[in-house]
Amino acid sequence: MDSSSSDGRPAISLRGVHVLYGRIMALDIERLTIASGERVFVLGCSGSGKTTLSRMIKARVRPSAGKLSVLGIDPCALGRASRSAYERCIAMIDQEFHLVPRLSVMDNLMTGALGRVPVAASLLGWYPLAELERAEAILAEVDLEGLEGRRVDTLSGGQRQRVAIARALMQNAEIIVADEPVSNLDPELAEDALELLVDCVARRGVTLLVNLHQPDLARRFASRIVGLSAGRVVYDGPPEAFGDKQTEFLYRAEAPDFKVIRAVKRGEAGAEPA
Amino acid sequence: MANLRRTWMRRASAHGAFWAATVALAVGLIMLGDFEFENFKGSGSRFTRFFTRMAPPDWSVTHLVLRSTAETLTIAFVGTLLALIVSLPLGFLAASNMTPPWIAQPTKWLLGFIRSIPLIVVAMILVTAVGLGPLTGTLAIAFHSVGMLGKFYAEEFETADRGVINAVRGSGANWLQTVRFGLFPQCVPQVLAFTIYRFEMNFRDAAVLGLVGAGGIGLYIQMYIGGFQYQKVAVLLIVIIVVVTALDQLSFWARRWVR
Ligand SMILES: Nc1ncnc2c1ncn2[C@@H]1O[C@H](COP(=O)(O)OP(=O)(O)O)[C@@H](O)[C@H]1O
Ligand SMILES: [Mg+2]
Repeated sequence: MDSSSSDGRPAISLRGVHVLYGRIMALDIERLTIASGERVFVLGCSGSGKTTLSRMIKARVRPSAGKLSVLGIDPCALGRASRSAYERCIAMIDQEFHLVPRLSVMDNLMTGALGRVPVAASLLGWYPLAELERAEAILAEVDLEGLEGRRVDTLSGGQRQRVAIARALMQNAEIIVADEPVSNLDPELAEDALELLVDCVARRGVTLLVNLHQPDLARRFASRIVGLSAGRVVYDGPPEAFGDKQTEFLYRAEAPDFKVIRAVKRGEAGAEPA
Repeated sequence: MANLRRTWMRRASAHGAFWAATVALAVGLIMLGDFEFENFKGSGSRFTRFFTRMAPPDWSVTHLVLRSTAETLTIAFVGTLLALIVSLPLGFLAASNMTPPWIAQPTKWLLGFIRSIPLIVVAMILVTAVGLGPLTGTLAIAFHSVGMLGKFYAEEFETADRGVINAVRGSGANWLQTVRFGLFPQCVPQVLAFTIYRFEMNFRDAAVLGLVGAGGIGLYIQMYIGGFQYQKVAVLLIVIIVVVTALDQLSFWARRWVR
């Protein structure tokens, strides 16, 4: 909650970043800058590099070339101890939520706080009172009150999604990265979950990066949309300018014609935020 | 259709060849070995004689038998507990998804080495080193179980969902916290089920250990059978059967309870 008053330094910045898997260029980004507090939704068909981008920010994938800077830090240059401190600043919500099975909702929430509580006590399941109170407040925020004792494997899909969001909030991160967080939910639940996520994030002023497959939802919740195709940024602009044409180009079955999509972008909006 | 039949025929002949080879191997080994099938002659009547001599059971030894059964149970229980405590970290070190190969592989070899020594040999070595009595039996059971439990725990840890572990680690948890909250919760039911199962087996093993002087009911098994006191042997058998059946049921309940 102490985070992200825009102090000029961008939350995320990529310069000439390449990610290679063998001979596959998964990501090839000339220039991408995300200011702190932005809500960026990344669209693109399967294989376009969305997951690679978010995993790179979480320091799980290294760029093969180029300069990556997150919160002013180069995640590739971190030692063991500073890496864990870095990871704590970035919360990740996965498509499969990866909650800890057999543990209660509350215990799952507390795993988000493990990086900052006394280690020995935490191993016994004891946490500082202030952390427990924080967890309670977050549970109320995501509307899971009364379920704190339930085992997460007994929850519905929508409830699990909310636990995943709550755990990410519990981490107190400065950036929240969500990789197709609602792909496992039916459309109505997906919309509710995104709305909840965006509300919670907006309340905290945290930077949000969401990979998504639904352009209409992105248009509704984003402050900025980034379109990826074959690892390249082919759209970068405000959600209002991301219309049906752009959607069609982005999701066209054949390899998209980059020139065309750039022309569309220039013609209709073109503004590159911050 | 013809294709299907051909596939089926090929599969059937492969099965047939497998079983023929297996049976041939067994027969060959028996012929190499010193199997004296003539010994079967008259064994039927010797069986019946053995069992008729058991009746009626000599209940005067009940007290002794119960006390030594309790000792055997203690050996099995404490031995399994010690093995659990040692095997958890060893199994963790041997799990290839948790430690680098230069730790995991040697640990697996160590566990294999421990497993490869027959329990009765472990017990005999310990009897010479530590002396007679239940302490020796407990140590022998613990040592032998570590080989089995450690291997099983390692395999269980290796099936744990990597994504969950990464999720816990990624929130800033340190190594110990990751193990405690990312790994263990996923493995508790199987680890417990197998440990309880091992405890059952350890009771049966511990019953035999007394034969080499490592404490428990085995001493009386040897004494009464060696001394042709079949009516006392009957009491032994009854008590062992009752205890084993009870353990079986208890372990079933325990495993069902932990899910
Ligand atoms: N671990 C990996 N090994 C090899 N290739 C990979 C790996 N991860 C992703 N890729 C490739 O990189 C490209 C981008 O993948 P990804 O980032 O997962 O796309 P998206 O999340 O948009 O579906 C794809 O061509 C994919 O096949
Ligand atoms: Mg993906």
